[in-house]
Amino acid sequence: MRDVSHAVVPLITVGIIGTIVTAILGFFWAPAVDSNSWNAPEAYRIIYWHVPFAWVSFLAFAILFLGSIFWYAKRSDFGWVMVTIGSEMGLLFGLGVVISGPIWGAAEWGVPWDWGDVRLNTYALLTAVALFLVMSMRSQPDGEETRDTLAAIGLFGFILVPITAMATTIWRNRHPGVIIIETEETGMDSEIRLVLFLGAISLMVLFAGLVSLNYELHSLRKQISDKESKIDEESMQ
Amino acid sequence: MAQSILAQVSDISVQRGVNNVLERASASVSQGEIVAVIGENGSGKSTLIESFAGIIPLREGKVEWTHGSEKIVVRDSEGRRNPPPPMGLTLQNNAICGDETVSERLSVALSVSGIAIENQRISELLNCWGIGHRSSERISNLSGGLARRLAILCGLAPAVMSEIPRLVLLDEPSEGLDESSTKILKGWIKALSGRGHGILIATHDQEISSCADRIITIAKNSLQTSTGTSNGDPIDIPSSGSTSRRNPVASLVRWSFKTEIRNPVDSVGRATPAIVAILLSYALVGNIDLESHDSNLLAALVLAPGFIVSVSSPAIVSRLEESDSGLWWNAIVGPMARPAYSITAASIFLPIPVSYVSWMIMSTAIDSETSMEVLKWLWVPSLALLDLAIASTALHIMVADLSRSSAAPASLLLVVLVWPFLELTEALSFIIDNGMTFGMSIDDPIPTCLIASLISALVWLTAVIIPEY
Repeated sequence: MRDVSHAVVPLITVGIIGTIVTAILGFFWAPAVDSNSWNAPEAYRIIYWHVPFAWVSFLAFAILFLGSIFWYAKRSDFGWVMVTIGSEMGLLFGLGVVISGPIWGAAEWGVPWDWGDVRLNTYALLTAVALFLVMSMRSQPDGEETRDTLAAIGLFGFILVPITAMATTIWRNRHPGVIIIETEETGMDSEIRLVLFLGAISLMVLFAGLVSLNYELHSLRKQISDKESKIDEESMQ
Repeated sequence: MAQSILAQVSDISVQRGVNNVLERASASVSQGEIVAVIGENGSGKSTLIESFAGIIPLREGKVEWTHGSEKIVVRDSEGRRNPPPPMGLTLQNNAICGDETVSERLSVALSVSGIAIENQRISELLNCWGIGHRSSERISNLSGGLARRLAILCGLAPAVMSEIPRLVLLDEPSEGLDESSTKILKGWIKALSGRGHGILIATHDQEISSCADRIITIAKNSLQTSTGTSNGDPIDIPSSGSTSRRNPVASLVRWSFKTEIRNPVDSVGRATPAIVAILLSYALVGNIDLESHDSNLLAALVLAPGFIVSVSSPAIVSRLEESDSGLWWNAIVGPMARPAYSITAASIFLPIPVSYVSWMIMSTAIDSETSMEVLKWLWVPSLALLDLAIASTALHIMVADLSRSSAAPASLLLVVLVWPFLELTEALSFIIDNGMTFGMSIDDPIPTCLIASLISALVWLTAVIIPEY
C-alpha cells in the first residue's frame, strides 16, 4: 500500500504543476495564430487544455469500455474497478472537454454549442453516461445486479459513439473548421506543438496519478468492507 | 416408478448484493412431488425460487425445464435465456399491480399459461379462496391478507386448470395468511401433487413444510436434501379446463393497455408537460413573425412538445416496480419481456396529435398555403417520433433494472435522442420551406425521417440487447 501511495503523490503533483505551466505558457508564451483566419484568434489558447483533456478523457472512456467488457465476460472485481475508475475519470476529463469547448465556441462561432460538432457531442454524450454511472454508483447498493446494469450502460455509452458520430455527420449545419492552421512549410508551429505536448504529457501524468489514487482507494474500501462483514458475522455468534 | 423431472437447476452459483448466496447448487422437482426449501432468513430460499423461474442472472450453471419430451434451457451463465413452459408462480411480494381488478389478475395469470376460461369458472376459483365478492374490485383496495390470497391463487390456478403436469413455485406462501387460508393452501398443494403437478415452496412455516415429500435445507450457500413427512390430506379443488396455445407477450400487451385505460396516468403524465410546452412556446414567440426567421426554429418549436411526450418516463416503470410485478412478468415472458415493455409502454398515440395541435397553435402567422402543406405532411416526422418514443422507453426500462432506479438520473441517457429529434426538425423545416418532396437525396424529408428512425432503432436495439447478456 505504501509503495502505491508513494507513487500517487509525485504523479499528481507533477501532473498539476505541468498543467499549470502549460496554461501559463499557453497564455503568455505561445505565439498567436493568424488573426485573418479566426474570428477570435486569442481564444485559440484554450486548446492547450481542451485538446489534452480530450485525449486523456478518451483513455478514461477506453478503461470504462474495457472494464465493462471484463465485467461481462469474467464478472471479475478488477473489471468492476476499471468501470468505476473509468467512469470517474471520464466524468472529470470529459467535463474538461465539454466546458472548455463551449468557451472557445462562444468566442469563435458566436454560440457556445454546436449540435453538428461530432467531437463535442460525442464527448458530451460519453460524459453524460459517465455522470450517470458515477451518480448511480453512489446511490445504488453495490451488488452483482447493480454492476450488471451499470456495466451494460457503460457498454451502451460506448456503442452510442458511432451512432452519435453518424447523427452529427448527417446534422451538418455548422461544422467547425480546422483548429490548428498548418503552414505549407513547417506544419504546426513548433512552439504551439511544444506547449500542446507539454499539456498532453502533464495531463496524462495527472491521469495516471488519479487512476493510481482511485485504485488505492478501491483496495482500501474492499479491505474495510471485508472487515465489516467479518464483524457482522462475529456479532451474530 | 420414478416420476419425470419438471425442472432442475444444475451447479448454479448466484450472487445477491455482495454476497454469494448459492455456490454450485443443484436441485430438481419432479411430477407429483412437493419440495420445501427451508433455511434461515437471507439464506437464499427466494433466490432458489427465482433461479428456477429464470429471473436472476447466474454466475455458473444452468436452469432447465422439461416441456413434453424436450428440455428447455431457461437460463444459463452464458447468457442464454428462453421463456419457461407454463407454470404457476407466486413471489414473496405478491407481484400484482394495484391498477388491476381481482378477476382480471386471475384471468391474466391463467391466460399466460394458455388457459382461457369463462367468468363463471373465474368466480368459482375466487370463491374457493373467499374473494369472489371482490372480483371486480381494484387490487389496491384489498387488504394485505386478501391480496396475499389472490397472489397465492394466481400461483396455483395455472396448475389447477391444467391437465398437463405443471411446476408451481411458491415463495413464502403462508406469509400473511390466516389459519383457515393456510389450511386451504395446504389442501390445494396436496391435491395438486395428487394430480401430478410439482410444487416447490420456499417457507419457514413448519406446517407448510410438513406436507413436503422432500426438504431442501440451505445453509452456508449449499443445499442439503432430506426426506419430508408428506403430512396432510388433499381437499377438493376445481376440475381442470382445456389449454390452448399461449402468448405471454400478447397477454402483457393487453395487461399494459387495460391498466392504462383504467388509470391513464401515463397519458396524462405525458400530455401535461407537452401542453405546457405548447402554451409556453406560444406565449414566448406568439408576437414574433416566425415566417421571417429560420424555419428550423419554428420546426423545433412545433416538434418539441411531441419530443417531450416521447421521452417522458413511462408509467409502466412504476407499475412493474409495484410489489415486484415486473419480476413476475420477466419470469413468464422470458427474454422477450424487455422489447415488449419498450414497445407497449411507449407513447404511441400522443406524438402525432400533439404535433398537429402544436402546429395549429404555432402557425397562426404562417400563410395558409404553407400551413395546408404542413398539415398534410406533418404526420411524416411525427410518425418517426414513435420510434424515438420506443427508444426512450427502452432506456427508461434499462435504468429501471437498478434496485433504486428512482435515485438514478435516467435523463442523462436520453441525451442521445437529441440527434433524431434534430433530424426530424430538419425534415419539417424542409417541408415548411419547400413543401413536401419525395426525392431520396440526403436533404429530402423522407430520407431524413428514415435516418432519425434508424438512429432511434439503433438506440433501442442497444438498450434491449445488452442488458440481456
